[in-house]
Amino acid sequence: MRAALRRVIAITRKEFIHIRRDPRTLMSVLLMPVIQLLLFSYAISFDVGNVPTVILDQDRTTASREYLAAFEHSEFFRVVDHIESDTEADNAFDTSQAKVALIIRPGFADAIAEGHKAEVAILIDGSEPNSAQLGRAYAVALSSTEDRHVLVSWAENQGLDMSAVGGLSPQIRTWYNPDRRSADFLIPGLMVVIIMIVTIQQTAVSLVKERDQGTFEQLTVSPIRRAELMVGKVLPWVLLAFVETAVIVAVGVLLFGVPLRGSVLALALGSVLFVFSSLAIGLLISVRASSVEVANMAGLLISFLPGFMLSGFAFPLESIPPALQFISYLFPGRYMMVIARSVFLKGADVATVLPQLIALGLYTLVSLTIASLAYSRRLS
Amino acid sequence: MALITRKHILKPPAPAAPGVAISVQSLTKRFGDFTAVGGVSFEVGTGEIFGFLGPNGSGKTTTIRMLCGTIAPSSGGARVLGLDVAAEAEAVRARIGYMSQKFSLFEDLTVDENLRFYGGVYGLDGSRFTARRAHILKMADLIGRENELTENLSVGWKQRLALGCATIHEPELVFLDEPTSGVDPLARKDFWELLYELAASGVTLFVTTHYMDEAANCSRLAFIYRGDIVAIGTPDELRSREMRDRIFEVEVADTEAVLAALENDADVREVYMSGALLHVNMGEADGAAALLDVALARAGAAGAHASRVEPSIEDVFVHLVTREQRERSVI
Ligand SMILES: Nc1ncnc2c1ncn2[C@@H]1O[C@H](COP(=O)(O)OP(=O)(O)O)[C@@H](O)[C@H]1O
Ligand SMILES: [Mg+2]
Repeated sequence: MRAALRRVIAITRKEFIHIRRDPRTLMSVLLMPVIQLLLFSYAISFDVGNVPTVILDQDRTTASREYLAAFEHSEFFRVVDHIESDTEADNAFDTSQAKVALIIRPGFADAIAEGHKAEVAILIDGSEPNSAQLGRAYAVALSSTEDRHVLVSWAENQGLDMSAVGGLSPQIRTWYNPDRRSADFLIPGLMVVIIMIVTIQQTAVSLVKERDQGTFEQLTVSPIRRAELMVGKVLPWVLLAFVETAVIVAVGVLLFGVPLRGSVLALALGSVLFVFSSLAIGLLISVRASSVEVANMAGLLISFLPGFMLSGFAFPLESIPPALQFISYLFPGRYMMVIARSVFLKGADVATVLPQLIALGLYTLVSLTIASLAYSRRLS
Repeated sequence: MALITRKHILKPPAPAAPGVAISVQSLTKRFGDFTAVGGVSFEVGTGEIFGFLGPNGSGKTTTIRMLCGTIAPSSGGARVLGLDVAAEAEAVRARIGYMSQKFSLFEDLTVDENLRFYGGVYGLDGSRFTARRAHILKMADLIGRENELTENLSVGWKQRLALGCATIHEPELVFLDEPTSGVDPLARKDFWELLYELAASGVTLFVTTHYMDEAANCSRLAFIYRGDIVAIGTPDELRSREMRDRIFEVEVADTEAVLAALENDADVREVYMSGALLHVNMGEADGAAALLDVALARAGAAGAHASRVEPSIEDVFVHLVTREQRERSVI
């Protein structure tokens, strides 16, 4: 046992030297996340506010008027016109008179009265870059103007074609962000995305590199066991992922004033499971990849796309097509996203996010098992 | 006594006869329906420098991998240092050293860091590591370069450092898979000096190579061709037993044209380049010298200087490989 530990330490120490000697990796691991964090957060928070908006109230009830009043007083939206039809919204976009159209369909008041969740549709000018990001930020702000759960549906008006917009399925989502600050919402999400990208990619690459170099063959003839090699090689990335998590949380809290309302323990537990599950994915990539370049590309693809698209970071998961929703369960991001946002914004403790923690725990267990099996099969 | 007997019943004997480091029985490796190693059997004695010769793709590396316990034989088996390579692979790996042709050093680590890493892998404790490190630095002529990055070392140095790393745990048996490929002749000579030193200290060496001049350095040789051992013995035995043919060394100006012509000459058994000269095998026929003169004239090199030479290991090797090729093509 002591001998095994000694071997693992030898490998881990060697890995740290590799990392230290490779400034590019070190940069991308330690600095890039912070830069990304700054860019994303500032870009978003600057854009929110004073957005020209048109309003279409087809419900014409006290409830809808009350809702819209609160909305009109918000600092995020500047209501430029009350319109009568969808076509007018189209025109408003066309003439750049408005960037957002808020639409309350008939039945809004009835739904609330019956205790259902009412729906509001937001159309966003899709010609605007970053519109998806903005849309989400608007939705956040919007829901927070009303002190009750409002279901928001929004759609991107890509070609300014109202019939196409009408074809989009409404999204159902409850948002929490009482301070109406998008940074609060983004940073916990970014934390999840960045940890996932870094861990998956670096694990995949570092394992393939060993195989590529031919040093791996040497190690298979040494007393090192496969499991020791694997543990020794991924350990530095586990440690770095934790450091990174701490850095992002610190930057978020200290620099952006993101509140950390909930239990740090819940966040830590989630992070540990999340890092290990990402690692399992990296391991699986390394098993299949034939070269460092392939591992790099696959790592990027498999971490970036699901990280941004299928975790609930860029789009609420309820709004994406069912097939993609199904796929999103195959990546650990979505579980961790809920944990991170709940802990940061809703003040969740371990008990609150227990379902997500259990789901993530199971995911980690299964994925690590599959990865380890694939890994040892590949080597023999 | 009874206890010992029972042990023997439980576990088939490991009676590596004293002095046997490796014993191989019908060792076979198949990849799909391709047979890379086709049932080879041989023994290597303790303290030998055993040379394993064969053209590329003949199964040398595959054999070594099975002997090191990194891949399982398809059938047959081997005992290394008295241990079964399939069942006791882990114990085997702790006691052997292995050096591959890729040198297996971490290029972005310094000399010292490489040594430290392998020291950790083999579980050397502080004082033993210090002693081994000092020994290897001296052996590899790397004193003063401890903190140099490995990638900045010359090939010869890398090769010696790789040998040091592979033997840091003082193994009784070292496998070297083409350890000198891509190294200049001078460095190769130095390297063989190190191997002699190792062998002199009682370490058994199993070396594969395709450099024929190195084969003469070995105490015993096996020729492997397409997965089969076609000859085995000491260099002298091989030369005298396998080779009764007469070999002539011929010096001509236009080697390529003459080579092509002689290849198609019925009286010439084998012809090939040896360095800048042609080696011509005239078979066992009497009057071979006269026949060769005629053949040379037919090849447009009348009067070229030809002298009979003692068959070298290379001559034996070419002869054996050509014979195998001929026999296999008949089948
Ligand atoms: N893992 C493998 N899968 C399939 N074929 C292999 C594998 N390893 C080696 N071979 C084949 O086995 C033959 C012997 O290879 P090898 O032992 O590496 O030869 P050598 O070391 O003598 O050059 C070669 O034809 C090679 O292509
Ligand atoms: Mg080989």
